[in-house]
Amino acid sequence: MTTNNRHSSSFRDPSGFIFVDQGLIKRSISPLYFEQYFKLKSSGFFEKLHNAGLLIRHEEISASESEINIQPEHIPFFTYPYEWSFNQYKEAALLTLKIQKFALEHGFSLKDASAFNITFHNGRMVFIDTLSFDFYQENTPWRAYKQFITHFFGPLLLAKYNGAESLKLMNSFIDGIPSKMLSSMLPYKTKLNPFLYTNIHLLAKYEDKHNEDYEGKSKAANLSKKAQLNLIKGLYEFIKKMTLNEASEWGNYYDKTNYEEAAFDQKADIINSWIQQLSAKTVIDIGGNDGTFVRKIHQELDLALVCDIDNNAVDANFEYLKQKKETHMLPFVFDVLNPSANIGFNNKERDSFLKRIKAFAPDVTMALAVIHHMTLSGNIPFEMSAEFFASFSEYLVIEFPKRNDSWVQRLLKTKGEFKDHFDFYTAENFKTSYLRCFDIQEKLNIENSERIMFLLKRKDV
Amino acid sequence: MIQILYFDPGLGALILQVLAAAIAGVVLFSKNLMYKIKLFLGMTKNDDDVFDDIDVKDSDIESKSHSDDK
Repeated sequence: MTTNNRHSSSFRDPSGFIFVDQGLIKRSISPLYFEQYFKLKSSGFFEKLHNAGLLIRHEEISASESEINIQPEHIPFFTYPYEWSFNQYKEAALLTLKIQKFALEHGFSLKDASAFNITFHNGRMVFIDTLSFDFYQENTPWRAYKQFITHFFGPLLLAKYNGAESLKLMNSFIDGIPSKMLSSMLPYKTKLNPFLYTNIHLLAKYEDKHNEDYEGKSKAANLSKKAQLNLIKGLYEFIKKMTLNEASEWGNYYDKTNYEEAAFDQKADIINSWIQQLSAKTVIDIGGNDGTFVRKIHQELDLALVCDIDNNAVDANFEYLKQKKETHMLPFVFDVLNPSANIGFNNKERDSFLKRIKAFAPDVTMALAVIHHMTLSGNIPFEMSAEFFASFSEYLVIEFPKRNDSWVQRLLKTKGEFKDHFDFYTAENFKTSYLRCFDIQEKLNIENSERIMFLLKRKDV
Repeated sequence: MIQILYFDPGLGALILQVLAAAIAGVVLFSKNLMYKIKLFLGMTKNDDDVFDDIDVKDSDIESKSHSDDK
């Protein structure tokens, strides 16, 4: 079978690897892992996790003495830990602990606890690394414990005490935030909490103390299953109750808009009719807040990516979709001025936002009330934002707030004496620049506001 | 065990778990006790959390067919 298309992120675990076969992601299992795989399969463990929606489903497509191939359910768009909101991150951490507890009760144990083993799919976090399970050996500690702290618990604590932006550190520390750094970045009061003291500060000390034991002289301790379950449950209960210190109630953004309810409704109607007209099935809403406008689309969508720079907006969207059990919404944190890059070994382990979105190629990109921020706060020339938007979708629904719009005026005022450098910010210049990449399909003014809606179609190159 | 080949679990982390588990045990025990006291005094609140409990429910495991695969 195909082994030369090994995916560039799949080299850490010798149990098997992921490869791409005719555009489909498949997983090859090495004989080294056969014993575990057969037991996981025959005991019904996989089946149970699949049914509970905790582990991505897969089908066995071929089996020989030297290799077994499985094909996991297709995931249209991957998001990475550094793109999750606080509560999404929390859900991923809880999922890992839940699976570990379930595994322990069935004679298995997670051999790793990487945050990259999880992604958001069908309205929930799901575990995607099918080969992460090994047999549980009685009275052994959890080998993935440190990884759980540096991938999940630590980053969540940093977010709690230092702001949700801390979660973006996972972009630099692909193998978890070093325990010593976690300890140093958390406030002193966390040392007074015995649970945090042991799991973070003491962990950093122990790691420091034992990291020069190259010969493995120090003997790893015994830990009963009951004690390990206590640790797992303790972490679960603690994380479940965690909230951001900075968290503010979301939901009042649209009270702060500078246009009337009628204009708001008209804007929603325009978007809705255009999306229906295009029979779009997939969209990305850049700067989509809590997903309000996507939810006003009456067309049945397969997948709507809704991204925003504000963690609280993404969290609000996440909580809403959980309550309504929506499966087509995929919220994530995204800074249009600095999208995630290609990272990891050879710069190929985790794909950039642009690479992923080009592969996904949503039918329509929505950019509502975002161009003035890109142009006036980010100083992105119209030509460059047009090129960006044209690179992944055929259609673009874009809202242009004119110069007299109060938000635009506010942004211009912050420019002080350089305000004149932004004289180019006019609807006319916007149109001229965007016409290089797009054709105008429709253009509508939103009544009683200083805003114009454009439906643009990418020029065939 | 495959995992030995795979990544360094951190020796300190393995040793520390004994202590961390003991602390977690004490915390869980005392929280449980507090909960029972509050329950007895009728002081518990319903938490309408978006997050489930740690236990995987039997009903989740059993009945579903493959029809919702795609």
